[in-house]
Amino acid sequence: MTETILTVDRLKKYFPTKRGTVKAVDGVSFSVSRGETLGLVGESGSGKTTVAQCIVGIYPPTEGEIRFKGELISKEFKRRPKSLKREIRIVFQDPGSSLNPKRNIYQILSVPLKVHNMATRRERLARIMNLLEIVELPPADYLYKYPQAIGGGEKQMVAIARALATSPSFVVLDEPTSALDVSVQAKIIKLLMRLQQELNLTYLFITHDLSLMRNMASRVAIMYLGKICEVAPTVEFFQSPFHPYTKMLLSSIPVVSEEEKALKPAKILSRGEIPSPVNVPPGCSFHLRCPMRLEICSKVDPTPFEVEEGHLVRCHLFTKDAVRT
Amino acid sequence: MAPLLEVQDLHVGFKIFDGLLKVLAGVELAIGEGERVGLVGETGCGKTTTVKSILRVLPIPPARLDGGEILYRGRDILKMKAREVRQLRRTELTAIFQDPLQALNPVFTVGTQLRDIVLDSLGAAGQRLTRKEIIARCVQALEETGMPDPERIMSNYPIQLSGGMRQRVCIAEALIKAARLLLADEPTTNLDVTIQDQILRKLDELVEEKGMSVLMITHSLGVVMDLTERVYIMYAGMIVEEGRTEELFARPLHPYTQGLMKSVPKLTGEGISKGIPGRIPNYLDPPRGCRFHPRCEHGLPVCQEERPPLFTVGEGRRVACFLYRGGGR
Amino acid sequence: MVGEQRIGLWAVLARKRRGLAKGWYKYSRNYLSVLGLVVLILIGLTAGLAPYIAPYPEHAGAYTNFREAGLPPSKAHLFGTDRVGRDVFSRVIFGYRFSLLLGVVVLSLAVPSGVILGLLGGYYNGTWIEVLIMRITDVFLAVPPLVLAMSIAAMLTPNLINAMIAISLSWWPWYCRLVYGVTASLRNQFFVREAELTGASKLHILFKEILPNCFGPIMTKVTLDMGIAILMGASLSFIGLGAQPPTPDLGTMLADGAKRLPSEWWSTIFPALAIVAVILAFNLVGDGLRDVFAVEEV
Repeated sequence: MTETILTVDRLKKYFPTKRGTVKAVDGVSFSVSRGETLGLVGESGSGKTTVAQCIVGIYPPTEGEIRFKGELISKEFKRRPKSLKREIRIVFQDPGSSLNPKRNIYQILSVPLKVHNMATRRERLARIMNLLEIVELPPADYLYKYPQAIGGGEKQMVAIARALATSPSFVVLDEPTSALDVSVQAKIIKLLMRLQQELNLTYLFITHDLSLMRNMASRVAIMYLGKICEVAPTVEFFQSPFHPYTKMLLSSIPVVSEEEKALKPAKILSRGEIPSPVNVPPGCSFHLRCPMRLEICSKVDPTPFEVEEGHLVRCHLFTKDAVRT
Repeated sequence: MAPLLEVQDLHVGFKIFDGLLKVLAGVELAIGEGERVGLVGETGCGKTTTVKSILRVLPIPPARLDGGEILYRGRDILKMKAREVRQLRRTELTAIFQDPLQALNPVFTVGTQLRDIVLDSLGAAGQRLTRKEIIARCVQALEETGMPDPERIMSNYPIQLSGGMRQRVCIAEALIKAARLLLADEPTTNLDVTIQDQILRKLDELVEEKGMSVLMITHSLGVVMDLTERVYIMYAGMIVEEGRTEELFARPLHPYTQGLMKSVPKLTGEGISKGIPGRIPNYLDPPRGCRFHPRCEHGLPVCQEERPPLFTVGEGRRVACFLYRGGGR
Repeated sequence: MVGEQRIGLWAVLARKRRGLAKGWYKYSRNYLSVLGLVVLILIGLTAGLAPYIAPYPEHAGAYTNFREAGLPPSKAHLFGTDRVGRDVFSRVIFGYRFSLLLGVVVLSLAVPSGVILGLLGGYYNGTWIEVLIMRITDVFLAVPPLVLAMSIAAMLTPNLINAMIAISLSWWPWYCRLVYGVTASLRNQFFVREAELTGASKLHILFKEILPNCFGPIMTKVTLDMGIAILMGASLSFIGLGAQPPTPDLGTMLADGAKRLPSEWWSTIFPALAIVAVILAFNLVGDGLRDVFAVEEV
């Protein structure tokens, strides 16, 4: 069952500011199939969060289209039909500010239920307790607690429960575990994977942690300064990365075993600062930091090229003429 | 070789409305000259409290020192007079923190702040330099941290710099002081991974060059692997394992460390585990005996009664777990 | 079935009780705040039971007895008598009624209107709604409150009700500004975004998500303001723009008695002390409340 559930086509989002136009997203295209997890990886300024925000409707796109189940949805949430707000949900990055500190968990979880008329008052308590059980938080303990009384990992689980409250089909996860400890992160990732199976969910998982994607995503896309550099199925991605930025990312990951050290692509050592999206370098936006740059890289922006099946790279080193296996 | 810094049996508590939080319950660690040591622990394990105790910046009250010593070159920091501690902080002991924007004053330029540090450390040493020499010193320190275009940076304000650059400024401050011991509390957690890599490599170089000792406090096992020779694993206010970094990560012994290692997403091998069941203990009423026992799959009866001391299982290798009581399993 | 017991009304009440206990603990750490609360309760009781406590309740209205005028404090008249022979003590007690009434009425008018406008202004940050509301607020804030109140009161017939209206009109901008600040800063927090994305109505977002976060600062300000509102009322009466004689308003009593200083000091000093007492009490309670709502760090 690999029907496409979401398509993003040449998405652009520019923010005009006093200093210049911030080209947060500058021509991004990808699609997500039902039931899969697409990992969107990038560092600061890559635009990954903005892509998520456009998909969810926090911003209307400047250009480009977003289609969900075939319907055009590239508008702000205010203009979206209510049914869409049930289907596409988001879990935010910062557990501290994604739950209202003055509401307890019962009140927080009843909001989506009330808004979408999903349960009568009597049923609501049962449904909320059910949600808490699904995310492995014992309801008796947590129902009336306030966010300050629970830890970061638990807050995220409440946020996940809240996202699932409307029985969605598509969940955007914006760095849900970046602020959490590694053991808590593991718990949440495992939970998310289990839920995906059980509830047939599709995930767009945004993160800066590439090694996490190996454990969770079916396909991975790397973004840099508003554009996608490389997209591939996960296994291939880690076995044969092509784009120099991808290699730089991989070699920067701090690892804990000798085995992994051996695996990291040799010697694309990170250098240079990430430019601001207001001042995107001409040509290929990565050329200033790229150890393998050619002359053409400072002049012309490369177009994506399918190096292997399902594996696209946007780099002058890999074009129809230049490709070597 | 006598250690540069020794923390012995440190007990720290915090008084709050509901009672006394018994946070640190006998922390011990040691750092030698020129050694690079890691302190790994998750949120709430007490690592920042430990750092603050070493620097003597714990707010007392509500904190209270319930026992223990922190020996720097043999003298107990906790018993020193405030003036002596200040002198120590001006010269030998320095720290960099997670959020450099909080450590740097937003209304002064980088140059002014570095210059202040130079003046202060000169004052501490009783020396004087001309204005030009002072500026040169600042620029030199920035260069050593790998900062691009240091002269221009001198006239920038902290908010104009990126996260990585700000952290480099903080490192430059440490270099100017010619500190002997650098306490680094999650210095790269907020940085992008490619920048983190650069900063860590640079730190590695500098520490090597200057013979500085470093205590790298973090929750990231990977960072510790790259930078340190020895590591301590901390859980709920106690040190649970200690050893040479490579060895410890290759063969973790304490159940907590094992659980941690299994939770780390890796580039090879199997996927991540389900994490470690349970939560960190409530410091108001911590478990009797080993503080990890409620979450431990191995629990022996003795674990609920007594606190395990650090048993030696090899050279420089210690584990606070009754599974290793005899010095081996 | 222990789990069942922890859910439902009982559990919620138990938690609220604990919250109150914790709040009291924080409040009572400062003995001055407790003192303020005690004084406030006493004043409230006095004002409430005025007709029963006051030795000469009829003196609170139009009453003259020139034979007993200008008497210094004595057993019969604790605070002495004023220049037309009325018992100052009884008038002060009744005066408290009006003062507290003024405070309550003013704040009941100013606070809801200010809060609602502040919520709207902060939520519609960046749009014409915000500009409209906040610029009008700015205009009001530009004039010193007492002057503003005076001008409004002078335009209307001087009496207690109009004094209350005047003060309310000069008061609401401060609440508007306060709530605007909190709302604007919360506007883009994730939990507000999430509520919007879920499709919650604006009403829900403003009143159920944002307002609870303003509660602390509002409560603190309300208690501090009670004192100031009372003072403003007294000031207006002092210059003749508020309650008119023979109403026993503390400010009017001050004005009347002032002419007789320093010989008949009791007819001014006691009303003055009464004003000081009530304002001080509110201030101390407000300080205490601020401590309760202050977020603690461990």
